[in-house]
Amino acid sequence: MSLLLDVKNLSVDLPTERGLLHAVRGIDFQVRRGEMLCLVGESGCGKSMTSLALMGLLPRKAQRRADHLRFDGVDLQGLPEREMNALRGARIAMIFQEPMTSLNPSYTLGDQLCEALRSHRNVSAAQARERAVHLLERTGVPQAADRLRQYPHQLSGGLRQRVMIAMALMCGPDLIIADEPTTALDVTIQAQILRLIRELQREFGTAVVFITHDLGVVARIADRVAVMYAGEIVETAPVAELFARPSHPYTRGLLNCIPVRGKTLPGRRLRAIPGVVPSLIGPVSGCAFANRCAEVREACAQTPPLVQLTAQHAARCVAIRPSHVFPEATA
Amino acid sequence: MTPSDHALELCSLSRSFVLKRGLFRAPGEIKAVDNVTLRVAKGETLGLVGESGCGKSTLAKMLLGLLAPSSGKVLLHGEEIDPGQRRARARQIQPIFQDPYSSLNPRRTVADIVGVPLRIHQVGSLAEQQRTVRDMLDLVGMPERTHRQYPNQLSGGQRQRVAIARALVLRPDILVCDEPTSALDVSVQAQILNLLMDLKAEFGLTYFFISHDLGVVEHLVDRVAVMHRGAIVELRTREQVFARPEHPYTRALLASALTPEPGLGIPEIKTHEGIAA
Repeated sequence: MSLLLDVKNLSVDLPTERGLLHAVRGIDFQVRRGEMLCLVGESGCGKSMTSLALMGLLPRKAQRRADHLRFDGVDLQGLPEREMNALRGARIAMIFQEPMTSLNPSYTLGDQLCEALRSHRNVSAAQARERAVHLLERTGVPQAADRLRQYPHQLSGGLRQRVMIAMALMCGPDLIIADEPTTALDVTIQAQILRLIRELQREFGTAVVFITHDLGVVARIADRVAVMYAGEIVETAPVAELFARPSHPYTRGLLNCIPVRGKTLPGRRLRAIPGVVPSLIGPVSGCAFANRCAEVREACAQTPPLVQLTAQHAARCVAIRPSHVFPEATA
Repeated sequence: MTPSDHALELCSLSRSFVLKRGLFRAPGEIKAVDNVTLRVAKGETLGLVGESGCGKSTLAKMLLGLLAPSSGKVLLHGEEIDPGQRRARARQIQPIFQDPYSSLNPRRTVADIVGVPLRIHQVGSLAEQQRTVRDMLDLVGMPERTHRQYPNQLSGGQRQRVAIARALVLRPDILVCDEPTSALDVSVQAQILNLLMDLKAEFGLTYFFISHDLGVVEHLVDRVAVMHRGAIVELRTREQVFARPEHPYTRALLASALTPEPGLGIPEIKTHEGIAA
């Protein structure tokens, strides 16, 4: 699979009343065509800021820096606003958490779906309608043709999210950024929507950057995973590898602290990660996880190196010694 | 079991809301809670699961006396508490809500917030109240330096600890926990769940634990009540419900829960009557 998105050393700083907030601190990641990359992390880890930085939708005062942000070979950083607008919604689409706030309440679904296509492609209204109905049907919206006249408030949360997905697909994008698309939904609906995203991604060969805090979702949907903590990517690996051999102490802590059916004994104490996420306001030095880490040592005061465990698996921690843990990594 | 062994009894509890449907149509009625009968034994943790809109929170509000039932009654230790005696009820049953950001007064310090119930109920002298507050905050793991802070200076987990301290400061024996960890990050969720388990062991508390997270429910509860469209559709022990779910809705819920096990894929949930959108 060829490379679609190549992010090198991306940082996002936000000025606040108390100082500069380093929301994203020099992250690298790549997404291949047709691949599902999950960015997973807890609130404030910078996962949403990363997606907004890619789309060029950061708050006005935010500062974005990167060595490069290449999308299909073109660096998005130098792109004039007009060209970014042409990309956004057409070749890179986004699905947000709360469809009620991202659908316009005063336009019909048909207006909004067709607008997504007609503002980017030279098609007739009838052609746009036809594609809208086709995609609504494909995303499992019943009575698709009648729905075009409806307004967002007339739909349930699950249906709204299906409409959002259909809208994201209108122009046939190469990349979809989905920011917690199922967090606001009930579990039975969540399973349906996740299945739908996975099916469509395979059917259309769309690459997806899927942002979530839910490791259950990650396990079931991702091809590759990047674990974020305090504005950094601390570990990346293919999904099976990450869950089988979590290497960063934070990843291990996250996996250990959720009760899992059939694994954790009911009523036993859970292995919580002590303490809280550090403030990212002002200078941050060394490993940001050190204050919560059981394996903390002197070297953690320095910026931890990225240790390559296998060709696909890397973690940012001084405690990992690849030659000991994974002999194959050095081969 | 004699009636007094039950900390909490809900007898045919119902609550409906009138739905206005415009000028020319007759108003409709929504049965948010429909004839629910439940008993919770002393020291038991009963889990209530169900999806949004199923009536879980309406039920919780009636337990707490924040909402009057349309019919049926709530008994605490075998006694009905009339709506006029909010204070007597507050000494026996207390809530912990989902969102620790909106449930704490932003203009009061942590120690103040936890002290309010003691002042309202006039428990002990000022010095005794201060000592009780300090001990309670200590018990929930809030260090001394945080006692004079305001909620906006605290993390989500710390706020939820304050909410728990406030709920426990009058030493009630029943806690109604309405999605107590849903707004928290998973690494913090484990801390709060551990704390709830410790406090239960320490005070012999009875928990009415509402959650949509089946992993959390399985970890914490003795019995599970599954609620769907206002009614309890299944009520059995944890082992029974998780090993052999009977009601189709319970089975759909269990099938939808995504455990962190790669390779299992995403379950296919059949859209059938009343379950999916």
